Amino acid sequence: MLSLFIQKELKNIIQSPKFTATFVVCTILILTSVFIGIKEYQNSVIQYEANRQIVQEDARQATGWNNVRNISHRTPTPMQIFVSGLHFDVGRLSRISTFDDVKLTRSPYSDEPIFAIFRFIDFAFIVQIVLSLFAILFTYDAINGERESGTLKLAFANSVSRIDYLMGKFIGIWAGLVIPLLIPVLLGLLLVMVFKIELTPDDWASISSLIGLSVLYITFFIGLGLLVSSLTRNSALSFLLLLVIWISSVMIIPRAGVIAAGQIVPIESVAQLEAKQAAFQKARWDEWSEQSSERWRERSAQMEGMTDEERQEFRDNKEWEWLEEDDADRKQVQQDITDNNRRLLEDTMNKKKEQERIAFSFARVSPASSFRLAAMTLAGTDINLKNRYEESMREYRDEFSSFIQKKQAESGNRGGFRISIVNGNVSMDTGRENSAIDTSEIPQYTAPVVTANASLGSSIFDFGMLGIFIILTFGGTFVSFLKYDMR
Amino acid sequence: MNMEAINQTPLMEARNLSKVYEDGVRALDELNLIVKPGEIFSMLGGNGAGKTTTINIFLDFIQPSSGNAFINGIDANEQPLEAKKHVAFVSENVQLYPNFTAMQNIDFFTRLGGRSDYNRNDYEAALTRVGLQSSAFDKKLKDFSKGMRQKCGIAIAILKDSPAILLDEPTSGLDPKAGREFTKLIGELRDEGKGILMSTHDVFRAKEISDHVGILNNGVLVTHRTRSELTGVNLEELYVEYMAGYMDESTATLTNDLDHV
Repeated sequence: MLSLFIQKELKNIIQSPKFTATFVVCTILILTSVFIGIKEYQNSVIQYEANRQIVQEDARQATGWNNVRNISHRTPTPMQIFVSGLHFDVGRLSRISTFDDVKLTRSPYSDEPIFAIFRFIDFAFIVQIVLSLFAILFTYDAINGERESGTLKLAFANSVSRIDYLMGKFIGIWAGLVIPLLIPVLLGLLLVMVFKIELTPDDWASISSLIGLSVLYITFFIGLGLLVSSLTRNSALSFLLLLVIWISSVMIIPRAGVIAAGQIVPIESVAQLEAKQAAFQKARWDEWSEQSSERWRERSAQMEGMTDEERQEFRDNKEWEWLEEDDADRKQVQQDITDNNRRLLEDTMNKKKEQERIAFSFARVSPASSFRLAAMTLAGTDINLKNRYEESMREYRDEFSSFIQKKQAESGNRGGFRISIVNGNVSMDTGRENSAIDTSEIPQYTAPVVTANASLGSSIFDFGMLGIFIILTFGGTFVSFLKYDMR
Repeated sequence: MNMEAINQTPLMEARNLSKVYEDGVRALDELNLIVKPGEIFSMLGGNGAGKTTTINIFLDFIQPSSGNAFINGIDANEQPLEAKKHVAFVSENVQLYPNFTAMQNIDFFTRLGGRSDYNRNDYEAALTRVGLQSSAFDKKLKDFSKGMRQKCGIAIAILKDSPAILLDEPTSGLDPKAGREFTKLIGELRDEGKGILMSTHDVFRAKEISDHVGILNNGVLVTHRTRSELTGVNLEELYVEYMAGYMDESTATLTNDLDHV
């Protein structure tokens, strides 16, 4: 009996115009999005490689360790083809310097804002918006529509179990909706292989998890459609109700969560944060300037009563000591500024984490949020993308700074210089010879790697949430349908 | 009436059947009726008289407040799955699945009725018997007229081959030709020994083919006449008077007697 219902439902769906429409729309959308994603990814890779070469060339042309310029780039990932997430919004590169904090700048959308107007439609968007709508379209009249047309009464005039009927309906609709999803997805993966995009085993594992996640998400909307259809007598009413729930779930709740969290945990803007950092920096340098002036006054005081020759000799003897002393002070100031920046940043980061926690806890009331968050986590284009890169770039900056300082010390040049005026001739001593340096020893930046297991582990909560939503909708449907008035 | 039916076990029986809805409306009040093999029992009555409620109780779509409904001796509300094996149903407005062809619809509902031993020839024979043109067999139902859909519905009932058949206003909305064909077919099924319980507004057809006619008003079976008792009676007049509520069983008998004078 169950297989008869499944066959009937599947046949009914496949022969319906809405199946044809779904299949055609899904195929066009998914293949187009994968194709555009591939092209975008290839451009990102080309740009990434070109930028890396420019940085290496710059380093090769540096004439001293104190003027080696370094920039680290965010590595493109093939997963951005399927879930662009924050890829287009987060900066692509950051300057790596002892004196500046790491900051990812020049996001793809900031470079080419025209594409931000009509944002890239990726696979996750298609599933989240389009397929969930189709799921509603397939199910809004699944039960009450059959009541209205009389086929429910005709079917149950036979020796038919309600559970078999409902299971058959669910499996049939599920298969009818998963087919238009899986076939274009497989074609899309074929396209990825045709374009020779290298996918690691981790990428394949993440893609499989993403497909599983999409199927779970669609299953929820099928369950929701069946639930509302079994709770109402009229298909027009159930469609209206489902549309309201869909808009709330997909459009309103996720945004409301973020807005509410923003009100509960206010965070200073980047401009405010930078203003605070700049103010501290100025105050610290002003303080250093005063201390430096005072020190020079004390040094001058030591030379009081000396003849010009004695002064000159005293200066010659003390000059490098004083320079090193000043340099150490300057470094201390720099260190204080860096520490303060980090402290402010850490404070902001902690507030951001709290804000995210509140926003996501609220947003996860909607399965659309759970799906979106899990999809981005699986693809590695999630909310932590920026932090992950900036953290790893900060670690790299420390490593790079230590290396440069070591090299400067080895070469006897710490970046300082002396200007001498002897007999009217001005000469500058930078403490080393101007010559090419061996940049092959410069430590290379390695992008942070998130394994498929780790991303699956991070998204397991959202998988669980979707599972709970599915159980609730199907449980509700079973309870409701067991009492459903067939008339 | 098939004379052999007289001493046979009832195929459908309503025993003191009552239904009071949650809003207090009494839809059925102590209904008693029996349909034996080879008999057609027509329930006449206006809207809300209790005809469809009776059929819904037989199909276990609603539970009676008291009393019992039996199909082939099985309590339709206590053992509904078992009882429904012995009954076929044709509704007032057969819709079926509009994206399925007639054949696909017949195949699905026949299998649902527990008959998976048929092949296409059997389906074609049933559809031909109900008068559907062969060119329509593989056409989608969405292009069918009501009459054609009704024919498919009766074909499904024929193929289920159950001893009892429930018909809920089967000729409603049919044109005279289709109505006549339908009536002829019902008669044939009766002659094959099926027991048929039919709700209808059509007093003429009810009189033409029924072995028993019961008139329901506000859930009460106000009168029950056999075919022989209806001979020479103006059923339409009788029906209207019962519906108007100014005739009881004794005056009805008088009227009946006067009609014979």
